[in-house]
Amino acid sequence: MNTTTAVQKKRKPEAIGSGYLNIVAPLIVLVILIAALEFFTRAFGISRFVLPPPTDIIVKTISNFPEIWPHFLFTLKIVAIGFMISVPFGMLIAALFSQFEIMVKAISPVIIWLVITPMITLIPLIMLWLGTDPNLRVIVVIIQATPIITLNTLNGFTNIESEKLELAKSVGASKPQTFIKIIFMNAMPQVFTGIKLGCIFSTIGAISADFVAGTVGLGSRIVQYTKYNNIELSYGCIIIIALIGISLFSIVEIIEKRIVLWKN
Amino acid sequence: MEELGKKTLQEPRIKFENVSKIFETRSQEIVAVKDYSMEVLTGEFVSIIGPSGCGKSTLIRMLDGIIKPTEGNIYLDGNQVNEEGKMPKETLRKMGFIFQQPNLLPWYTVRENVALPLRVFGLSGETWEKRVDELLELVGLSKSGQLFPYEISGGMLQRAGVVRAMVHDPEILLMDEPFGALDELTREQLNMELLEIWKETKKTIIFITHNVEEAVLLSSRIYVMGTQPGRLVSTVNIDLPRPRSLKMITQPEFIGYKQKLTKLIGDLDLSKIK
Repeated sequence: MNTTTAVQKKRKPEAIGSGYLNIVAPLIVLVILIAALEFFTRAFGISRFVLPPPTDIIVKTISNFPEIWPHFLFTLKIVAIGFMISVPFGMLIAALFSQFEIMVKAISPVIIWLVITPMITLIPLIMLWLGTDPNLRVIVVIIQATPIITLNTLNGFTNIESEKLELAKSVGASKPQTFIKIIFMNAMPQVFTGIKLGCIFSTIGAISADFVAGTVGLGSRIVQYTKYNNIELSYGCIIIIALIGISLFSIVEIIEKRIVLWKN
Repeated sequence: MEELGKKTLQEPRIKFENVSKIFETRSQEIVAVKDYSMEVLTGEFVSIIGPSGCGKSTLIRMLDGIIKPTEGNIYLDGNQVNEEGKMPKETLRKMGFIFQQPNLLPWYTVRENVALPLRVFGLSGETWEKRVDELLELVGLSKSGQLFPYEISGGMLQRAGVVRAMVHDPEILLMDEPFGALDELTREQLNMELLEIWKETKKTIIFITHNVEEAVLLSSRIYVMGTQPGRLVSTVNIDLPRPRSLKMITQPEFIGYKQKLTKLIGDLDLSKIK
């Protein structure tokens, strides 16, 4: 008894300290990085076509923000909708296939092929099949993000200690009970790994689609700005895209910490 | 009625009748258990001992419906339990299985883990909830109920594993080398706690172990198994007085049993080398 309370007491301050550090430490690194870039670009007179000073990027991006704003909203919409469809879709496919051992064996390599193949290669064809409506880029996002979510979820569903399944059998758990209480919970950390990779892949999918076709979306802005020598704004768009990905990723991470309480 | 009463008195609680289990792997057939027979009466504490790979764990897994025997029959209270399909919940409820590893589910708190069989068997209500708390209290875990398994020690985890197997009030406990992964001191302590529980609750216990001393200390009867194929080699009755205590370990009678069993198991190994 004493040992368990001692463990609790020991852990708490440590957890708070590390949480605080988790936010501050990367911010410090970021500030140092920006300051260093600012110094080097100005001190060595680096051409703005290669790398404009960070302050120029920030100032120009803010002053041109009304122009960027609709493209930001569009890309955010495509990424968010695509992601929100991919997560349940990817998990559902994994849940269905995991019920049959043969399906797992048959489908796993196919999913890996899909993950490996860059979906940007398909985009011109998808445009050909489905037309040029920019909203159809959601499909590109879904095709890009779903396989990685399915792959990780399926790994989680199939990698389970046999003793846990024996426990289910020894108390006569039904198939749904075993799935919900044991298999799904056991897979939860891997499901979240899949979802987090899904965030990254969704952003990649949306921007790839922008590059190939169309005049809307942050990806198309980068192409345009670079073409017309607005290098600062190209970099600004890159940063905004990164922020979309990071935000999505962070939201998922916060949810994960709330749900996966047992992961030490 | 009278006849029925007599019948339950005489009939073994658990009966293995020429049970064999063959596992098929890609390249070969492995005979895990061959032609095993055993009878256990109500309230008995029996151990099955043998070298690793002798199929002793397989035996209680077959009894608890985790795997099916290839041949032979297993009876519980006179009813055959190894029919095709899933074992009915009423039968499973009579048994509690304690694993070699604590086997707690990391995503549930200690209390939720202990209460898991209740949820699955559909046993709800205040009496059952109270029982969970009483059992946690019994093994000194009442303050750890809301902690996750990773937050408590190995000995505590295994205690939780033991009371989880008892929460639905089974009359039979099946224990698969339950304290084998723990250090010597904790193991001795848990063995004594187990004897206490057995004395209080009058449960029928089948205890799997490869530790001779532990088997002699706990059991009324020991089944010695040999390997390749896993089979019954000898049965040894332990006529030591009860209650048993750790002090007995040094008594000549105890040492006698220990030597006898060690020799039985040692001979097995020698015959294998020849």
